[in-house]
Amino acid sequence: MTQGNAVTIQSIKWLACKGFLVPAALALAGCAGDGTGLDANGRPIDNTPIANNDFQEIQDTIFSPICATCHIGGGAPQGLRLDAGNSYALLVNVPSGEVPGTMRVSPGNPNASYLVQKIEGTAAVGVRMPANGPPYLTQDRIDLVRRWISAGAPASSAPADRLVVTSTIPAVSETAAPGLGKLTVIFNANVDSSRVSSDAFTLRDAADQPVALAGVRVPTGRQNVVELTTAQPLAAGSYQLAVHGDGPAPLAGEAGHVLDGDADGKAGGDALIPFDVQAGAAR
Amino acid sequence: MTGTKLIEIVGVFALITFAGTAKAEPYLAAQMGLKCVQCHVNPTGGGMRSVFGNTFAQTQLAAKKIGADEDLWSGQVMKFLSVGGNARANYSFSDVPNQSSTNDFAVEEARAYLDFGVIPNRLSVYVDQRFAPGNATNLEANIRYWIKENSVYVKAGRMYQPFGYRFEDDNAFVRQLSGYNMQAPDEGIEFGFESGSWSTQLAISNGTGGAPEQDDGKQFVARTEFVGSVWRMGVSGAFNDTDAGDRVGAGLFGAVRTGPVTFLGEVDYFDDDSIGTDGRKLMASLVEANWKELQGHNDKLTIEWLEPDDDVDEDEQTRTSVLYEWSPIQFIQLRGGVRLYDGIPQNDLQNRTQAFVQLHGYF
Repeated sequence: MTQGNAVTIQSIKWLACKGFLVPAALALAGCAGDGTGLDANGRPIDNTPIANNDFQEIQDTIFSPICATCHIGGGAPQGLRLDAGNSYALLVNVPSGEVPGTMRVSPGNPNASYLVQKIEGTAAVGVRMPANGPPYLTQDRIDLVRRWISAGAPASSAPADRLVVTSTIPAVSETAAPGLGKLTVIFNANVDSSRVSSDAFTLRDAADQPVALAGVRVPTGRQNVVELTTAQPLAAGSYQLAVHGDGPAPLAGEAGHVLDGDADGKAGGDALIPFDVQAGAAR
Repeated sequence: MTGTKLIEIVGVFALITFAGTAKAEPYLAAQMGLKCVQCHVNPTGGGMRSVFGNTFAQTQLAAKKIGADEDLWSGQVMKFLSVGGNARANYSFSDVPNQSSTNDFAVEEARAYLDFGVIPNRLSVYVDQRFAPGNATNLEANIRYWIKENSVYVKAGRMYQPFGYRFEDDNAFVRQLSGYNMQAPDEGIEFGFESGSWSTQLAISNGTGGAPEQDDGKQFVARTEFVGSVWRMGVSGAFNDTDAGDRVGAGLFGAVRTGPVTFLGEVDYFDDDSIGTDGRKLMASLVEANWKELQGHNDKLTIEWLEPDDDVDEDEQTRTSVLYEWSPIQFIQLRGGVRLYDGIPQNDLQNRTQAFVQLHGYF
């Protein structure tokens, strides 16, 4: 935009704001705030240090300033509230309202995440987000979301001095497709790969019998993720995966913190992830 | 006498008869002194146009009517079925500080309406389906039964919620703040009362923004409006009981016509406990002036104000829009304008400038 245009626009804004054009507007309309003491989202500046990670950046630069203008409160569209404090729980491993067969955020899989489809404009249903676009999100913001999901969509809220499980595939109480042979566990921080072994995980079936794990690995470039491979595709039925923070081989983070498996704020305890596998032919 | 000629006569007669009671695209309703239900099959306005609305669009709204006088589109394609639609194609320009400006062509919306009047003037099944952009999305699907013809109705299914004025621009601050717009239907039931100069609605819905119910709480939204020939005034109220917190809102809206200029105003206030840990109090207002230069030409100036958190100072935003709307012939409208956003300096999006030209086809 040229300087001349900018001056003209500023002049119009000034005229409109000061009520010169429509005196009646003054009865109902006020002026824009000058932003004193506020952050970029219009919230009072909080000097508490915040976690420096992708999800926090997404919240601060996408959800709070753009999405939460509509996706906020009890009546938010599709029940999706994207204000800080609500967004993560309503996104990760939560079926989308418009296409219930697709998770809003499917950890590790940005292409299959409805959030990505909506912001890229490729979703099967409805308009591209933000609904009041253009402008839509810039490519670097979309890349940020994709990177966060590829990394397993870790939460931002877990303190750096703890290691906790943030999500799993399949998710807690999820019914997985027939033929499931791989389980994914996502942590809030990088794990100590030297302590990642089959001893740190136990998979049991409905009869409480252990199910053999053929492989346990930390994928390259995704230090906060552990992938487990079963020796055989899992038969239909109920299972429970335990990620150990206790016992002879507890899992720990790179910083040495033992897993807080039961999320009680203290190191130790097992994270328990019950899930089911559907009957039928493997896809 | 042909059927369409009859429709035209009925339409013009209705214009004369009802000019003085009340209608929908709110500035047009206020300009004509009509209720929403006069031009739309939906008593709360928006969506499919009634026979009267279609007649009005052809005889009163456009600068010029082309085609034979007896060829008036009524929307009725057969005895018990009416159809309608809207399509908006945009060319828009957006300038966000510290970012490269963008411009693009896009289909803002293409939607179709179906109204099955299985018992004429009493019982209808109505569908509002958006086909673009993206794949098809159902926005409204409901059954409407006029318990007492033209005065008392009940509607059940998916519908927009009755709160304030149903502006065409869903991004108006008052519509964005309340969340009650034509992008976010909810499922429930609505009761309506049309009596003389009064128009009243009460809706009870899930209060989930169209998502499946997640708790025992329900949402109650109501509006009532007095509609005079020159001025009108109404109030809205909303209460949404959710496990995340209660949301209470109120609004005041009205309009007045002075010669060729019609003014509309709305102010809404919400106390939303479901936001953050302490809740928020939010407020938005809108003042709009519409100048009917000539038949088919409208100049629109809109000034809006948004207070996103009443407990935080200096976070307010404004939006000023200058638009020109030209309806050269029936069912076509060319719109263009500029919207200037003004917000806190540290947020670029709140200080963007948008311009657009839109070709709007409707029937």
